[in-house]
Amino acid sequence: MYGLTMFWDYRVILWHGLLINLLVFVLSSCLGLVVGMLACIGRLSHVRPLRAAAAFYIEVIRSAPELVLLFWIYSVVPVLLSEIAGSRLTFNPILSATLALGLVSSGYFAETFRAGIHAVPAGHVEAAHALGMSTPTILRRIVLPQAIRLMLPELMSQNIGLLKTTTLVSVITVPDIMYQINLIVQQEMRPLPLYTGTAAAFFLLILGLTSLVGRAGTRSREA
Amino acid sequence: MGFWTRTLLADAGPLWNGLYVTLSISVMAFVVAASVGLGICILRGYLPALRPIFAAYIAFCRNTPIFIQLLWVAYAWYDLLGWPKEVFTAAWVALALQSSGYLAETFRAGIDSVPLGHVEAALALGISRLSIWRRIILPQMLLTIAPSLMNQFIVIIKCSTLVSVIAVPDLMFQALRLTGIWGDPVPIMSFVAVIFIAVIMALSALSKHLADLTRARLQS
Repeated sequence: MYGLTMFWDYRVILWHGLLINLLVFVLSSCLGLVVGMLACIGRLSHVRPLRAAAAFYIEVIRSAPELVLLFWIYSVVPVLLSEIAGSRLTFNPILSATLALGLVSSGYFAETFRAGIHAVPAGHVEAAHALGMSTPTILRRIVLPQAIRLMLPELMSQNIGLLKTTTLVSVITVPDIMYQINLIVQQEMRPLPLYTGTAAAFFLLILGLTSLVGRAGTRSREA
Repeated sequence: MGFWTRTLLADAGPLWNGLYVTLSISVMAFVVAASVGLGICILRGYLPALRPIFAAYIAFCRNTPIFIQLLWVAYAWYDLLGWPKEVFTAAWVALALQSSGYLAETFRAGIDSVPLGHVEAALALGISRLSIWRRIILPQMLLTIAPSLMNQFIVIIKCSTLVSVIAVPDLMFQALRLTGIWGDPVPIMSFVAVIFIAVIMALSALSKHLADLTRARLQS
């Protein structure tokens, strides 16, 4: 049992690490929602090149491993931008992590949005057209209220996945919780209690969130 | 052209080896995860007393971040059990641990999709239990879940990039090492990213094709 008291001894830096995880999660989720929405609009547009470009973007971003994208944005993008700008730029690791995870999740969000919009029965849209509603009104009053309810559970579980993925950002030197845990492991030379405790803590956190989302999902389907 | 001559002359060897390590870890993890997942799924039906244990195992595998599982297996298990001794073993064990939870659920969905009437008919005909599994349930369920299995394999390949963190010489590790040697991240990182994206895109196209085939076959 001795090992677990280390979590209490190091509570301050662990708490700071967890806050960094949450910060990266919130920022990249917002970025992912915005970019994913844009990609979804592009994917559903009537302009063919735009549709093809959006489909290609979604396909590529969904095929890229998270870690590869993290390292690519961390190491390559600042160099490319420096060449364009003509002066040496560096990225804050938190910015790189936010960009990378935001882009990764945008691909998944875009597909979820598209599935939600497609799940709204075509008859509803046709009926609204027949009643003389304008396209923006149809979108605002008919499609989106139904689509959002349909895609909410899926969006929630993707956000939980994103929260799990934020544990990766320590590899590009973001001082998140795993970064701090690894430092403590090096300091104390006791990987067994530290990693087991971390695994258990994350397990409980994610399990709690998943069951909350599961309950919310059942309720929104019943409503 | 400096980058391409360098890549073809000096880096081609390490990159090929890296891709080989990435794919062998992924295949290894997938085979083990599929076996464990199927085993759990079958045993759950026959050993109702152990059901909470299986459920806890599946929940743990699915709800813990893979990076933590990897470090846990590589360092905490080693501390406790003296195993796995090699980072390569730790890598596939961690990846298999994560995926076995997901695959157990996939297999369960597959078994549920086999109509109960088929099993009852087979029982009525006096076919043995083993034969029912082998000839009636497994073939039908594998057809249904083939696309999900493929997707899980893609997830494993994506997660396998993490093993570079525990110094397994996979493709990602080689990319980081060569970046360090040449001091030039732009070409090598982009090249490796393109390799990963191409491999995964090809596999997901294959998975889509499988799904279409299955659908056509089920409808006919």
